[in-house]
Amino acid sequence: MRKDLRILRRSPLLLGALLVYPVVIAVLVGLVAGYASSKPRVAFVDEDHLPPVVAVAGRRFHIQSIVDEVSKNVTLVRMGPEEAARELADGRVVATITVPPGFLGKLVSTVQTPSLVLRTVSGGLAPRVTQQMQALVYRLNRKLQAALIEANLAYVSLILHGGRGSFLGRRFDVLGLDRTQRLLASLPQSERVTRIQEFVRISRLALAQTGHALEATANPIGLVQPKAKGRTWVLSAQVQAYGIALTVTFLALLLAAGAAAAERDEGTIGRLGRGWAGRLSRPRPLVSPGVLVWSKVALAAAAALALGTTIAVVFGIAVEAGGVTGGEPWARLPLLLAGVLLAGGAVGAAGTLLGALAREARTASLVAVLLVLPVVFLGLVPKGVAPPAAWLSDALPFVHAVRFFASALYDASPWRTVGVEAAWLAGIGAVFGVLARSGMRRLAT
Amino acid sequence: MSNVLLRAAGVARRYGELEALAPTDLELRAGETVALVGPNGAGKSTLLAILAGALEPTAGRVEAYAPAGWVPQRPAHYARLSARENLELFARLDGVADPAAAASRLLERFSLPDGDKPSGELSVGNRQRLDVALSLLGDPRVLLLDEPTASLDPGQRRRVWEIADALRGEGGAVCFATQNVEEVGEHADRVLVLQAGRVVYEGEPAGYAAAVEEAFR
Repeated sequence: MRKDLRILRRSPLLLGALLVYPVVIAVLVGLVAGYASSKPRVAFVDEDHLPPVVAVAGRRFHIQSIVDEVSKNVTLVRMGPEEAARELADGRVVATITVPPGFLGKLVSTVQTPSLVLRTVSGGLAPRVTQQMQALVYRLNRKLQAALIEANLAYVSLILHGGRGSFLGRRFDVLGLDRTQRLLASLPQSERVTRIQEFVRISRLALAQTGHALEATANPIGLVQPKAKGRTWVLSAQVQAYGIALTVTFLALLLAAGAAAAERDEGTIGRLGRGWAGRLSRPRPLVSPGVLVWSKVALAAAAALALGTTIAVVFGIAVEAGGVTGGEPWARLPLLLAGVLLAGGAVGAAGTLLGALAREARTASLVAVLLVLPVVFLGLVPKGVAPPAAWLSDALPFVHAVRFFASALYDASPWRTVGVEAAWLAGIGAVFGVLARSGMRRLAT
Repeated sequence: MSNVLLRAAGVARRYGELEALAPTDLELRAGETVALVGPNGAGKSTLLAILAGALEPTAGRVEAYAPAGWVPQRPAHYARLSARENLELFARLDGVADPAAAASRLLERFSLPDGDKPSGELSVGNRQRLDVALSLLGDPRVLLLDEPTASLDPGQRRRVWEIADALRGEGGAVCFATQNVEEVGEHADRVLVLQAGRVVYEGEPAGYAAAVEEAFR
């Protein structure tokens, strides 16, 4: 391997690519992660001319505080309908949220359901904006529910206790069940009066529970999300996992394939492989095919480790500098790098096999480049969509490297996943290593 | 019988339908130089590679009774390593006790440049001499040379033959492939003429001219 590293050091173009590539990948990954955590720009079109404060069911809602709440997740920009439509078409905003005329009237009436209108571009961040708007409407509905329940309970209280009230702008006096019961008690008792008294008693008991019943009907299931500092943010971790796996796969495959095939190009395989042939009685060969394969695997693993470390560190710096939410790029670095070493070795074994089969460095490099993209895309196909693609992908190191890296970076308890994926990588590496050994023997003799 | 250093018994090589070398017997004895002569594609390099253990014969067997050095027809060293680095690397792989000293000795013996210059940037002659130097690592008693002087000037050629002749003089054996008739006359004790993978003549150099004429026709 020392010889291979020395040769690598003397290939300035390749060495330069090896040094620059991970930095470029890491910066791109950092930018993507930063972009993923940035706020999308959304147009806010108010066609109903909402006042600063809206009263619904006796509760006051400050429009600006709602806008501020939304602005935590998206950048809300007020604009007219034409301008909003134009900016949406140009892609300068990813969505428009419109308050249509008559919205407020329907809302304060409490007998009709008004709607906000959300328009988004297709793809990109649209699903994220849609989710955020759905979450906003959900939160607003929760607040309105509370106000409406309170208003309804006021009516229930009126029925229970009586008094003056208003509904749809009309004021009226309500006797109430309490006063009805007192009135009934003052009447001459008869079977009919007793039946009415029983009805009033049961009604009072039932209406006393109305508040809890309304709460339960409005929120059958509640969701409480305690605030906690999470591990590396899912999206950042996924992007980083794919970034490192892609880099390791690409470079380790290319490097190992090129290094293996170069032994034939330079004629050294004949010198190294003297004695590998059967039907000979001669002293031991200079190196065994297994050792030669191992040297290429070790070279790929070492290069992968160096590149993986660089990417992880540069990515970490980019994440810190960009202030990506929830980023925790350092804590799992040792586990991540152990996976990088293992993945580099497994991919290196595959690359060595490729180099032995290609028999020529240029062909090996070209085939390696051509192979990487399908392997990566296979890893992206969900299992449920095309099971054969997933089975094929399972036989290759890329998808296991992604799962290992993602789990190491994100999972609170990664050990089971990491253990399974490490076993996959070791197994795949061993199979490719054995095949590469045969290929190397064939290459020499 | 005891002076046989290398024996090939019925060795043959096929590439699919093509018979590169028909079953061939050859013994290299101590103190002799054998020349393999024939046109391109006659099977000379195939036979030498099989004798060197670098090529698997499809039939037959090779028995080696002494270490053999091999100089293949084309360069067989790392082009991005210097001559010294190549020598030290292969010396270490060959189990030489002091690779640096062995490299220094061979660099001096073959007048090879001892610098950082990658061997791929050396002249063709220097690269060929480096291959000859590499073949001498591990103190071989048999030298298998595949057109070892094809790219060398007369002075360098003479130096290579001095080394080969010295090895033969010390009880070793040399087997070389060539298309140079003068070299056969000057250095060979025995000649094998190959044509289309078959030995068409084996004997004294003096009698091989007719076979060569037939082979090259």
